[in-house]
Amino acid sequence: MITIPFVPHPFRARLSFFIVCLEAAVTTVPAVKALGGQDTHLVLSVNQLAGNWSFHVDRLSAWFMLIINLTCINGALYGTGYMKQYEAQRANLSLHWVLFLLFQGSMLWVCMAQNGLVFLIVWELMSISSFLLVLFDHQQKSTLQAGINYLVQMHMGVLFLAAAFIWVYFSEGSLEFSAIEHFFSSHSNFWLFFLFFTGFGIKAGFVPLHSWLPQAHPAAPSHISGVMSGVIVKLGIYGIFRMVFFLKQDYILIGEIVVILSVLTGIYGILNASVHRDIKKMLAYCTIENIGIIGIGIGLGLLGLGSGNGLLVVLGFTGALLHTLNHSLFKSLLFFTAGSVYLQTHTRDMEKLGGLIHRMPVSAVFFLVGAMAIGGLPPFNGFVSEFLLYSGILLGIKSIGIANNTLMISALAGLAFIGGVSMLTFTKSFGTVFLGNPRSPLPREPREVSPVMRLPQYFIILIMLSVGLFPLFYFSVTGSIVSAYLPVMAGEDFRIPAALGNSISAIGRFSLLFLALLALIYFTRKKLTGRRPVSTGPTWGCGYTAPSANMQYTGKSFSKSLGKLMNFMLLEKKKYKEIRTNEIFPPERKYSSHYNDFFVTRVLDGLVDRLLYSMNYFQFIQNGKIQMYILYGIFFIVLVFLGTALKLI
Amino acid sequence: MISFILIILTSLFFSGIIIRTKSRASGRKGPGLFQPVKDIIRLFKKGAVYSKTSSFIFQAAPSIYYASILMAIMVIPLGEYRGIISFEGDFVFFAYLLGVGKFFMILAALDTGSSFEGMGASREALFSMFAEPAFFILMGSFALLTGHTSFQEIFASLHFGSYISYILGVLATLVLAMITMVENSRMPFDDPKTHLELTMVHEVMILDNSGFDLGLILHATNLKFAMYGALIANLFMGSFPLYLTIPIFLGIQLLFAVTIGLLESFTARFRMNHNAQYILALSSVSLLIFLGVLLMLGQFS
Repeated sequence: MITIPFVPHPFRARLSFFIVCLEAAVTTVPAVKALGGQDTHLVLSVNQLAGNWSFHVDRLSAWFMLIINLTCINGALYGTGYMKQYEAQRANLSLHWVLFLLFQGSMLWVCMAQNGLVFLIVWELMSISSFLLVLFDHQQKSTLQAGINYLVQMHMGVLFLAAAFIWVYFSEGSLEFSAIEHFFSSHSNFWLFFLFFTGFGIKAGFVPLHSWLPQAHPAAPSHISGVMSGVIVKLGIYGIFRMVFFLKQDYILIGEIVVILSVLTGIYGILNASVHRDIKKMLAYCTIENIGIIGIGIGLGLLGLGSGNGLLVVLGFTGALLHTLNHSLFKSLLFFTAGSVYLQTHTRDMEKLGGLIHRMPVSAVFFLVGAMAIGGLPPFNGFVSEFLLYSGILLGIKSIGIANNTLMISALAGLAFIGGVSMLTFTKSFGTVFLGNPRSPLPREPREVSPVMRLPQYFIILIMLSVGLFPLFYFSVTGSIVSAYLPVMAGEDFRIPAALGNSISAIGRFSLLFLALLALIYFTRKKLTGRRPVSTGPTWGCGYTAPSANMQYTGKSFSKSLGKLMNFMLLEKKKYKEIRTNEIFPPERKYSSHYNDFFVTRVLDGLVDRLLYSMNYFQFIQNGKIQMYILYGIFFIVLVFLGTALKLI
Repeated sequence: MISFILIILTSLFFSGIIIRTKSRASGRKGPGLFQPVKDIIRLFKKGAVYSKTSSFIFQAAPSIYYASILMAIMVIPLGEYRGIISFEGDFVFFAYLLGVGKFFMILAALDTGSSFEGMGASREALFSMFAEPAFFILMGSFALLTGHTSFQEIFASLHFGSYISYILGVLATLVLAMITMVENSRMPFDDPKTHLELTMVHEVMILDNSGFDLGLILHATNLKFAMYGALIANLFMGSFPLYLTIPIFLGIQLLFAVTIGLLESFTARFRMNHNAQYILALSSVSLLIFLGVLLMLGQFS
């Protein structure tokens, strides 16, 4: 890793990619073994003080490690092409590649660590390396701001996690993860889980802890946003999963809270995604939505644990795990295409684009596939995991009491609503960026991106299709992960019912049938219309003879009616000057409008303002005089001395 | 299989009946029952005009739309007889298949770069989004009532035990009929006969389609009518034998078509900017069904 800055400049990216693959290969072996039921232990005895640091690869970590490796390889390959535009910034670039390796490594260690202290160290390493990766474009003020915001929020998360680990340490005398399990079996589960959930939830982006996501993702280079959204956010999910598998009681209460929070997260995320015009911000909000969907699965599984319904547990947790994989696939695909668009047009503003399908047809198809998959449309992978969640909810409706009946029906309606809005969001985004006519002149003619950038995207689509068409394999893998952690469920009386296996393989079969039917219709059409006269002309302008590109429907107007309906949640800020009645010849004027995040403007900003206001009173302490600071030091030393002398401490 | 054939058959005269009813209601004789089909066949024989702005998506979308609806029809059962596709949770597959078709039709509309078509596309996306929860709450309630999650099992076991289920059936009919109107952009939500592009939904989306593709789209619309009609018919069939279900099926389809015709003749359309709220209100009717189911199961005692 350290060698990267020393190799000649043109080879750095390649070397980095090679090491990424190497790292991936080394860690994939134990991961695959673990999925087969063979765990790997690794104990480092550091010294007497810190005790033994144990690492462990089990099925859960294996699943996440495979996702990390997959996404990182794709990200690095795409990045070698994407970062060509910054070739001039040599030092910056080599730092970037070193950090990328550190980033991948730390994420892998996070999945393996089994000790609270080690976990926090690698977790921190991951946060900091990703923070520095976000800061690549550090000359821009907005990037710096987003980066600092990210760093601060990650540390708030660490605070919660540290508090939780310390609590366990004082109660059980150990930082090992097994101590947490022990803690859960002898104490009330709710509050400790709450701490962990908040800490991991900040990483995962559960509403209202999401506000770093829509800022950091647009600021980072595209392959980094792809990897961040695809994996780093998922490590929050990994943490939650880890803790969920340790839980011993209070399942129902926690499950209900998680489901409610997740449905709200999903709806909030996708509604915000639908109105934003920055393509990467839109994708970032969409990540929040998908975290909501994953959360619904986790909540369902918990409810299943609480009500003793093994099938519900399997459906919920497998749905969540599979959606984690699916989301990391299509979200990195979408971020990569967004990056390709940015590379060619130098803008992230969708309203300035248009008609790119003629210039970048392959990228357009990539985005289209990603958009379909993320909307959960068959025959792609998003449908499989959403189907599992729907099945889980339907099973939940039947099998748990009245209070949860209502919860389940709301989750069902919520999931359907999320699906609907995500269709609106992605038709809007795809339509605005790739279809129609170009909306504004671009600095240069956009071209299709280089093959090295396209290659990982083909690869992702291939995997996505494999999930969509052969879902049973992936289901059985995730199913084995879940049943390994729930010994009660893995017992002799529980087996995945044949009907479920049937429906899951049916999805793949009938998706294939759908594709076949589609091909049949399309070729019939080709055959029949092949010799017919075909002419081209301008789009029908309803009688108007001088249409211009500016008259096209914009993305903003596409989602305007939704924004208006949901204006209690989507806060639109408009800036314009009203035309007064006595203005006979109104001069040229400007109109601008953007959407604000509800939680940031209504909740967090106010809170921070008040905090800053009260903190102002303590400003005299930090007065910038070194003499004073030395005095503080002496003061505290004296205080400690007196304290020990008088046996107060 | 039998339901598939029946639905295809029904689709041939469904819009003919609607048009005939509307003509009769306005005191005209009206065209023959099979006139819409003849129109479609004529379109199938024609060449096409494409917009310069449009891409391959515009040309592929009608086929995808048509395929998605054919697939969706395969899911629908006829009373006890399952559709070609039937598995637990198949109605989710059904809804998402329709979603694929809609997704591409919206994209095709945006592909032309016309502001009118964009407007229609935006409305289509918005309205169908609000109709989605209603359908899922409805099916979720039935899943709770019957304990099954596939169309065929739900419909076959809907009416065991209590006659209250027929009342729920009537409510469900209302919801499904309204969803049909939203999905096909018909009267209370959209007026297919309007002459102003600004106020259209579905019609404006297909302004630029012509020839074979337009034929596919028009026939797909008829298929969609017949498909939802079949869903409604299934609500009342239970597990009757075949010689009863086929007449019931055809009767209900006929009744449904006539009702649509009458509805279109005698009602005014809703205000466009309030449509979303009206459609969302469907979800509350679905919730009513859910409450009814809870009552039937004695969950409140």
